[in-house]
Amino acid sequence: MSAVAVALRTRRRLRGRAAVGAAILVILVLVALLAPVLAPHDPNAIDPSRVLAGPDASHPFGSDALGRDVLSRVLFAYRVSLGVAVGSVLVAMAVGIPLGLLAGYHGGWVDSLLMRPVDLLLALPALLLALSLIAIIGPGSGVALFAIAVIYLPILARVVRGSVLGVKGEAYVIGARARGVSRTGCMLRHVLPNSLGPAVVQASVLMGFAIQIEAALSFLGLGAQPPTPSLGLMLADGYQVLQQAPWADIYPGLAIAITVLAFTLIGDGLRDHFDPRGVSR
Amino acid sequence: MSALLALRDVSVDYGPVSAVRDVSLEVSEGEIFGLVGESGCGKTTLALAVMGLLPRSAQVQGGIDFQGEDVLALPEAARRRLRGDRISMVFQDPEAALDPAFAVGEQVAETIRAHRPVSGREARRRATQLLTEVGIPAAERRYGDPPHRLSGGMQQRVVIATALANEPALLVADEPTTALDVTIQAQILALIRDLRDRHRTTVILIAHDLGVVAQLCDRAGVLYAGQLVEVAAVERIFDAPEHPYTKALLAALPTRTHGRGSLPVAGGRVPDLADPPPGCRFAPRCPVRMDACERVPALTSREAGHVTACWHVEAEAAA
Repeated sequence: MSAVAVALRTRRRLRGRAAVGAAILVILVLVALLAPVLAPHDPNAIDPSRVLAGPDASHPFGSDALGRDVLSRVLFAYRVSLGVAVGSVLVAMAVGIPLGLLAGYHGGWVDSLLMRPVDLLLALPALLLALSLIAIIGPGSGVALFAIAVIYLPILARVVRGSVLGVKGEAYVIGARARGVSRTGCMLRHVLPNSLGPAVVQASVLMGFAIQIEAALSFLGLGAQPPTPSLGLMLADGYQVLQQAPWADIYPGLAIAITVLAFTLIGDGLRDHFDPRGVSR
Repeated sequence: MSALLALRDVSVDYGPVSAVRDVSLEVSEGEIFGLVGESGCGKTTLALAVMGLLPRSAQVQGGIDFQGEDVLALPEAARRRLRGDRISMVFQDPEAALDPAFAVGEQVAETIRAHRPVSGREARRRATQLLTEVGIPAAERRYGDPPHRLSGGMQQRVVIATALANEPALLVADEPTTALDVTIQAQILALIRDLRDRHRTTVILIAHDLGVVAQLCDRAGVLYAGQLVEVAAVERIFDAPEHPYTKALLAALPTRTHGRGSLPVAGGRVPDLADPPPGCRFAPRCPVRMDACERVPALTSREAGHVTACWHVEAEAAA
């Protein structure tokens, strides 16, 4: 019931920028899902006659250094990029939210025990952390997902812990205890739902950054491996031929920019709604 | 009438701050007992001590006997079983006391399910019935509404419904009408009285508004700076107050016969509870202060059922 109420309120407030962001994202997700239908060509088909060929009617985005269709590759690359971005944030939430909730709600030694290792993760530079993970496990988009999740885990855990600290002192939490609800019941039913707002805001912004990190890792050859189409890989390849065939670099770059823009717009809108005081900022 | 709740020398300290000092009183079954005093005098602290909801930083001493059992000696799990079942509480600000992300009916049903092994459907049925009983129209439709869709008066009715969900023996109402406007206040007070009459629920009503106490309570106790200074039937508190603080409090009430100009106020301010006066805490502001006031006066009685903690009153009675 409460979820419905929240959804109703959310719909009412999701106007303006957030609505634009949400619309873009819906289109992007559809594009990613329907890539096999929408793509005019096989993304991995090499056409020697079209090496670095410019855009035309059947290849609107032109072709790359191997004569592969850039539009088809961008469409398929979206699947990988969005998958890694959404997946990494979901994994980080699945671990970070319970950690932050337990640490914030119980405080004291539980807080120290749970948050000190998390702080340790936060102390390492994000990309360095990802690089060392990949050095240990080996490259691949699954590993990139995991590495980004590890980068995000402390951020989300801290945001949730912060809002739990505020919420647990609210009168309605004391009220619930006065009605005989157990500490665990209070934590799960009253503290958690009221603490999620800032984390949701943060998650949407982090998804935008995840697209960038995934692209950066792939650009460095540490994410998705060829021939898997990935926006970062395409940037890396296109970079070599930027002067002769700018379309091989521009379109994947635009794709990244639009996705990041969509997540950022949604994040801003959600922030206005869930977190007017700016806990997650 | 037997004592449902008996406080024996209850003191609550927050570190160096002495919020409540040696309060002893008995509340009988079926009565509405008013607890009066200005802000910060320990009313809410006392209520939370009875509920067992004080923060961990608070040290509680003394004994709180509820239905003959010292609840302070009970483990937390047993105290949780008491809360919301045999003892329940209504809070000052209903908007803050209801979870904004939770349907109002669910909050009532949750209280039932915390104590009774009933199915979700049965809890919902009882919750709807309770909402109807506290005067919420179309309770079935209101059940799923989040609190912000309800007015303040309706929110307080929901809070009262949660408090009554398991037919408690004792209801602690902490300023239940302070956040509401006057007409709604009268309705809520009538509701509380009605509930007492029908279910024989004992009520401790905490108020800083003496008018509310006069309307509703059978007996009242006056707290000043954490000390209980006077307990008597409400009529006697108003007609024959003994303690100088009670008199000052009553003198500060506007009356119909009072002309223009400012109301009389007691001079001075409430003492710093981190460094309270050693004896009677009202002594520094008291118009009839004497040397004995350096020591804490005991609650003594001159009329049956009327006790006062004041050296001056004792001296006058002896003379």
